[in-house]
Amino acid sequence: MSAGREVIDQDARLDGSDGLAELTGLIRRVVAGRVDSREAVDDIVQETVARLLAASHRLDGRAVGPYAVVTARNLVASQWRRADTGMRHAHRLFDPRAAVAPDEALLEREEAEAIRSALDRLSPREREVLLAHEVHGRDTRSLADELHSTPGAVAAQLSRSRAKLRVEYLIELDREPPTGQCRPVLLSLSAGDKRRQSELDAGYHLLDCGYCAALSEPLFDRRAAAAPDEVRVAVEVDADIVVVRQRGRDLAMQAGFSAAEATMIATAVSEIARNIVRFARRGEVTVTVATDGDATGVTVVARDAGPGIPDIERALEPGFTTYGGRGLGLPGSRRLMDEFVIVSDVGRGTTVTMTKWRR
Amino acid sequence: MAEPELDDESELDDVERAAPRDDHRLLPALVAHLREHRTELREEWERRIETTHLLQAMTPHEVGSETTSVYDNYVEVLETGSVDALQRYARDLSERIIPRGVETHEVVGIVLLLRDVLARSLFLKYHDDFDVLNRVLDAYEPAANRIANTVAVSFVEERERIIRQQQDAIRELSTPVLQVRERLLILPIIGVLDSQRATQLTDQLLRGIRLNRARVVVIDITGVPDIDTTVANHIVETVDASRLMGASVIITGLSPEIARTLVTIGVDLSKMNTIGDLQGGIEEAERQLGFHVTRSEDS
Amino acid sequence: MFVSILRQGDFLIASIHTALDDTELLRFQEDLVTQIGTSRAQGIVIDVAALDVLDSFASSALRDLAQMARLRGAATVIVGIQPDVAFAIVRLGMELDIHTALGLEEGLAYLESVTSGNRAGGSALGALRGVDR
Ligand SMILES: [Zn+2]
Repeated sequence: MSAGREVIDQDARLDGSDGLAELTGLIRRVVAGRVDSREAVDDIVQETVARLLAASHRLDGRAVGPYAVVTARNLVASQWRRADTGMRHAHRLFDPRAAVAPDEALLEREEAEAIRSALDRLSPREREVLLAHEVHGRDTRSLADELHSTPGAVAAQLSRSRAKLRVEYLIELDREPPTGQCRPVLLSLSAGDKRRQSELDAGYHLLDCGYCAALSEPLFDRRAAAAPDEVRVAVEVDADIVVVRQRGRDLAMQAGFSAAEATMIATAVSEIARNIVRFARRGEVTVTVATDGDATGVTVVARDAGPGIPDIERALEPGFTTYGGRGLGLPGSRRLMDEFVIVSDVGRGTTVTMTKWRR
Repeated sequence: MAEPELDDESELDDVERAAPRDDHRLLPALVAHLREHRTELREEWERRIETTHLLQAMTPHEVGSETTSVYDNYVEVLETGSVDALQRYARDLSERIIPRGVETHEVVGIVLLLRDVLARSLFLKYHDDFDVLNRVLDAYEPAANRIANTVAVSFVEERERIIRQQQDAIRELSTPVLQVRERLLILPIIGVLDSQRATQLTDQLLRGIRLNRARVVVIDITGVPDIDTTVANHIVETVDASRLMGASVIITGLSPEIARTLVTIGVDLSKMNTIGDLQGGIEEAERQLGFHVTRSEDS
Repeated sequence: MFVSILRQGDFLIASIHTALDDTELLRFQEDLVTQIGTSRAQGIVIDVAALDVLDSFASSALRDLAQMARLRGAATVIVGIQPDVAFAIVRLGMELDIHTALGLEEGLAYLESVTSGNRAGGSALGALRGVDR
């Protein structure tokens, strides 16, 4: 617990490679204090950093450190569980765990029940719009017309409802939260609402509340987070660049951006997706609707496990190029978007996170 | 609770007076009661609206006709459980009264008043049998809150929509793109340019170029007192984007202050076609258009 | 077909009909340069109206194409850049360094103006007008 307090005082942020290096050191301290094997520490630190980067654009600056700490702790705990089972079954020739697969039908029933209960916790209006969109396939534009609203507002509402549904679903599968603070904190994390996280001091709560610490992880789980207001494209070949920028533009339009702004977003997506193809060969680009208080925007995250960028400052200078291009990819994307963070670890990979807010 | 203002001694038939014992019969009985006493309950509600000084922007006649509709819609929601019709009506009502300056708290206020007027009437009707009263109120309260919520949300949304519309209209007006002759556009910018307006302006100009198939654009910034570097950059970007679309840009009315700002941010003014005043700019534009018939202006 | 290249008098009119990925763009570049050689065209119009994104790679490809064309004796004009695309190119920081025109007609007029005197054949613009109107 004391390790976590330190983080908050440092006001850890992921604004650049320095912030990440600091955080990595902290994560290492947390993990090394609990795990003996050097390799296991390395593995857990890496996995923590990877998850942190995936979630960081949805976290308030002050919640980044605490989230890193609880994620590391969660991973250590699951490592112990695995090691424990591994030991007990080490003498067997086959892994019996595969054979005792849970009763799938029962599992499905439980999940369906949880989803139903979670839906009940939404307001009738939230539920109605969410179901119309998800189940009946209504698009945001037609819903907006019907609700006398804008596609952007509907998209933002859907995003909030989905965030709420995720929280309620997880609570349903677990138990009622121990404190009154838990639900709002989990909701702010799920929605990626940084302003609310800061108001609630979500970081402090995560460190103090084991319940929320445990739930914060599945909350950021990629599958749980996958939704129609999220575009996720594996990027490997030229053609993927075209696909991801087109889908990025569609999402931006859906979120209420003007055609001019959507074109800027699509252009920025195109540039960073090309960097993946050129330098890392393989990676992933996600585009999500972002909310911060009343503001709606679009966040683009490009991730690869390529060679990394040794000198980020230089890579951000216009004209710096390593493949005979015009060196406008990164600096140009930064100009096209409102927020731009690049984190790169040589030999490990690069993550570019950029956001544009609607005016 | 309150002084019995309501006349509940009116003649009721036996079915009505008999307390409904089955829960599924509660709401129908309740609805029948509210229908039967429609006139006096509505009048009571109007009196309350008046004494609380709500809806003062509306005439008593207008209030009367709206309260009748709201009352009927209200009862209909209780009966059918569907808020659709009420929602439609609430939006329609909002659209009518928002321009009159009716505020959100007033709309919410009158719906809550109606909720309470009806609750009191139910209280008086069933106060003999506490068990039934409880069940009636249990059935009534959630429905009534849902109604209040529906009306409030509809009103707020309608208000936001109207405000947005007005803002759009104002923005349209503040950056007119004028076509003075074929293929020549003039964009007079007047007033303070902020980032949002600058973006709007670019958007309109670039679309205007395509729509009017413009070859030359004169941007007159005589009416701009001052610009910051962000907006100055934006103007430069607009000039470059216009060129990419195939139109050349002449800037007129550049004050020494703005010229200095442009130079400070590294704009090469010799690459921008700047002319002293609008008249000179238009003449230059016409000269360019004349030349274009036979040869290109740049090579 | 994603791209069409038509001959119009002394000029080639190349139209891109859909979003092209990098490889397709380079192939287009190559095809067009080859055709300039075989057709001895004096100028090329590249119609990019269908492109909803012109990023740094596409801009470079067009610029390189224009330079290769010039080495082969042909002038280049890009036409049909969409308003939103034009602004994004500028914001990205690209300088296209190629002559641009609003549409096909303006592009051909430009080519006629810069190549007049060199050309033997009739007016491509005239031919186009004859077809169009
Ligand atoms: Zn908690």
